[in-house]
Amino acid sequence: MKKFTFLRSIFMTTALAAGALALSSCEDKASGPTGTYAENAVLISNEGSFTASNASVSYYNRNTGAVENNIFSKENDPQVLGDVLQSIAVHNDRAYMVMNNSKKVVVANVNTFKAEGEISGLEMPRYFAALNNQKAYVTEWVTYSGNGRIAVVDLNTLTVTKTIEVGVNPEKLVISGGKLYVANIGGSTISVINTATDAVETSIAVTRGPNSLVVDRNNVLWVASSNSKAYNADWTISEELSQPGALAKINTSTNTVTGTFNFTRNAPSPSNLTTNANKDKVLFVYDNKVYQQDIAATTLNATPFINRGASYPARSFNGFGIDPSNGYIYAGKAPNYTSDGWVVRYNTTGAVVDSFRVGIAPNGFVFR
Amino acid sequence: MAFCCLAQVAKAQQDTSFYQLKAVEVFGKPAEVFAAGSRVSSLDSSYLRTYTSATLAEALQTRTPLYLKTYGASGISSVSFRGTSASHTAVLWNGLNIAMPSLGQNDFATLPLSGIGQVAVQHGAAGAHYGNGAIGGAVLLQSPEQAGKGIGAEVQQEVGSFGRYYSNAALRYSNNKLTVGASGYWQEAQNNFTYRDLGRFGAPETRQEQARVQQKGITQDLKWQFAPKSYLAFRSWYTYTHRQLQPAMGAAANKAEQLDKNLRLMAEFGHTSRIGETTVKAGYFTDFLHYTDVSNNSVTDITTYQLQAEQTYTYGQSWSLRAGLNLQHFAADVRGYGGEVTEDRAAAFLLFRYDPDPKLALSLNLRQAFVKGYNPSPTPTLGASWQFVSIGEHLLYLKGNVSGSYRVPTLNERFWRPGGNPLLKPEQGWQAESGLRHTYSKGNLTLESEFTGFYMLVDNWVLWTESEFGYWTPLNLQKVRSQGLEWSSRATTVAGEFRPGLSLGYALTSTQQVAAYEGTSAELNKQLPYVPLHKVTVATDAAWRSWTFTGNLIYNSERFTNNNNSSSMPGFTLLGLALGRQFRFGPGNLHCTLRADNVTNTEYQTMVNRAMPPRNYTLNLRFIIP
Repeated sequence: MKKFTFLRSIFMTTALAAGALALSSCEDKASGPTGTYAENAVLISNEGSFTASNASVSYYNRNTGAVENNIFSKENDPQVLGDVLQSIAVHNDRAYMVMNNSKKVVVANVNTFKAEGEISGLEMPRYFAALNNQKAYVTEWVTYSGNGRIAVVDLNTLTVTKTIEVGVNPEKLVISGGKLYVANIGGSTISVINTATDAVETSIAVTRGPNSLVVDRNNVLWVASSNSKAYNADWTISEELSQPGALAKINTSTNTVTGTFNFTRNAPSPSNLTTNANKDKVLFVYDNKVYQQDIAATTLNATPFINRGASYPARSFNGFGIDPSNGYIYAGKAPNYTSDGWVVRYNTTGAVVDSFRVGIAPNGFVFR
Repeated sequence: MAFCCLAQVAKAQQDTSFYQLKAVEVFGKPAEVFAAGSRVSSLDSSYLRTYTSATLAEALQTRTPLYLKTYGASGISSVSFRGTSASHTAVLWNGLNIAMPSLGQNDFATLPLSGIGQVAVQHGAAGAHYGNGAIGGAVLLQSPEQAGKGIGAEVQQEVGSFGRYYSNAALRYSNNKLTVGASGYWQEAQNNFTYRDLGRFGAPETRQEQARVQQKGITQDLKWQFAPKSYLAFRSWYTYTHRQLQPAMGAAANKAEQLDKNLRLMAEFGHTSRIGETTVKAGYFTDFLHYTDVSNNSVTDITTYQLQAEQTYTYGQSWSLRAGLNLQHFAADVRGYGGEVTEDRAAAFLLFRYDPDPKLALSLNLRQAFVKGYNPSPTPTLGASWQFVSIGEHLLYLKGNVSGSYRVPTLNERFWRPGGNPLLKPEQGWQAESGLRHTYSKGNLTLESEFTGFYMLVDNWVLWTESEFGYWTPLNLQKVRSQGLEWSSRATTVAGEFRPGLSLGYALTSTQQVAAYEGTSAELNKQLPYVPLHKVTVATDAAWRSWTFTGNLIYNSERFTNNNNSSSMPGFTLLGLALGRQFRFGPGNLHCTLRADNVTNTEYQTMVNRAMPPRNYTLNLRFIIP
């Protein structure tokens, strides 16, 4: 099983890279998908401000450097995307926009961004992952404090066929080896769901507040946890009273934690965990800096990979992604919720390449 | 359905000549005495007569250059003068500031026209005159003055589209010594209009189901002339508003509701003697606000005590001097503050009007506020109006003023947890304006025009921003500049039994942040959100025998919805028409009015993604025993 997924991922990566090369080198539109947003696309999800319904999607052409903002509204005028775009996922020719405070997932053609439907009836939906052409999963918080659930979605009818109860505030999710791993950010577990039966198989105890998770080239599942935080009178996070965050490594064959790296400082939290293109390094945001960790390393890397200094504005890594085609790091910078944010690009050495303006509070990227 | 009691004491108030105090008659209306050279306008009496059931928000939107931001059909409505924000507007009720101390502003959707005699609008900074918050302007509300002696009464019933019912009743009595008036109103609106839901796939026609409003209230005024030169007055004003708050299209229905209960009581003593007029006003206000939605439950309960004493001395027709003192005490019990907060404020003011020549009016005002922990600068005003051309029936005035203003941060801005910022600096504004006024009167034709240019700078402008920790916090913007032009004209004539009138208004407003503190990610030299560059109003009214006709047209240009001006709402035009007829009916008059609002069925928004009602109709029956 493990070997099969590994081979498949290699195959997929190669196919994607070849596709990207084909597109960028000869620009043969006939061979690739067509549409305004089909080529060299980086899609940026812009959260928007809560209750204003001004979430948006931006398109960046990494070949020409052209930026197009608000592409959903442009293509579907006068419709608006909705309130609080938590995340975007792309599967085949469709983009799935998880609209947290619209209680739905908006579905659009990823090449033209024409709306094709919506998956409604979701309670505080967060993230989306497709298993295959028939089935996908959406995490739903349902409430702020109680157990959340996973919606099983039929991708042909865009309806929820089943829900699976998991832990408190199910957040990010990843599919690997026939299993769906769900980080319950409000608790201290990773729920493991069998994608054949859509039933919870087990749950893995990790440090409190798992916020992101990723699978490396050895099929090891990495989990970043924030841990418990206490606040000072001025609502900053207390160094004294908080608990330090951690990175955990999980063997996906046995579903057991094989190692935990605890951070030394209490107030900051590791977040936005992701892998590089080769999947032999994990990267994450910590204390408004980016750190890179070799998957074989036995201690936490104390040297930041990207360090913009102590005065660099907070929330400058509100969104974080790595372009698998060239290893560039994309950071979504969100100064506030009343002005548009920025995307800052860094190269493989961690140096700034360029930046461009997108929508309000950019929080994630899809590279095609 | 709609009985209950209802509002509006009579139409006596429409006759402003009654309401001018004798001693200051030479200087014009009371609101203008110490405001030489500034722009003061009054809401038209024919408009107030036709739109008695409207809120102050609707009236100002329709008849002034002010921009009203309304969160949907049922929502909170805030006003913007000359590009400033809602907390930059002072609202005075019979001379006392009634801004909620927590928010530093008033929700104009909760202030009914019912029971209000006169509405005057002072454009531009008037900190010296109206104190805290009068940075962009002031709205002055006066209780009605009684016209005749004896008993008068009025009942009113209104039915409108989208499940709207409004009832109102008023009684008044007046003799040589005593004037009493009381009114009450009751209103319910379902606001279940249909709109294109832009937040759903295919933008289907949808019925609004979260915009129900219920309002009721009473006003009471009593004035007792207990001695030839002395009077006592007691006034009360209670408003109750319970409403569902309409969500933005595309946002989840969060069952938001708000209950507002505002009680305002005041006692006034007036005495005229050798040394002029003495006025002492004592106010007791309670403001209760309860907001709930699926995940919030917030209560604000504030009591305000206010005392204002003034002494005015007028020397013939050449000068008038007023000295006064204002004291305020707030006791706030607000869940968000985590405990009771109290505050005392004081201000001393000196207002001087001098007319060295019948053609020249000068005013010089000064105010100094005192607030513990703050050091507000003194706010002066220097204004002049000069009638410099008089050719035939044409009179031309040159006018202008320079004025200062200030605003101490509100209680929410300082104490709300999380986010409140006790270190917030007070706002300080400066404004200069100048203009021309032209009047022409010949036979039955009267023309009046006013053209004003203004330039305003506000330091430490407070803006709520979502912080890095994920909650909202107020920050000082270093410097905001607002500049613009305002033009208004009115023409009236009489031709036999036909009495037409036409008013035109235009405002150009450019408001931008021009300097930012270091380390803040500011958007410099961009128009502030929700400030239209252009606003046009056209109003017409005509009377013929027992018929009356009113028309209102407003245009607001594009308004940006974010700080960097990348997204906006398109401009829109709204048309309202009203036709009325008066009948003799027993001891009184029956007024029937049919109104149509948003006649052209315009799809528009004043707050981003909040659907507004399409074309709607209202039938109003009003029976008045004069």
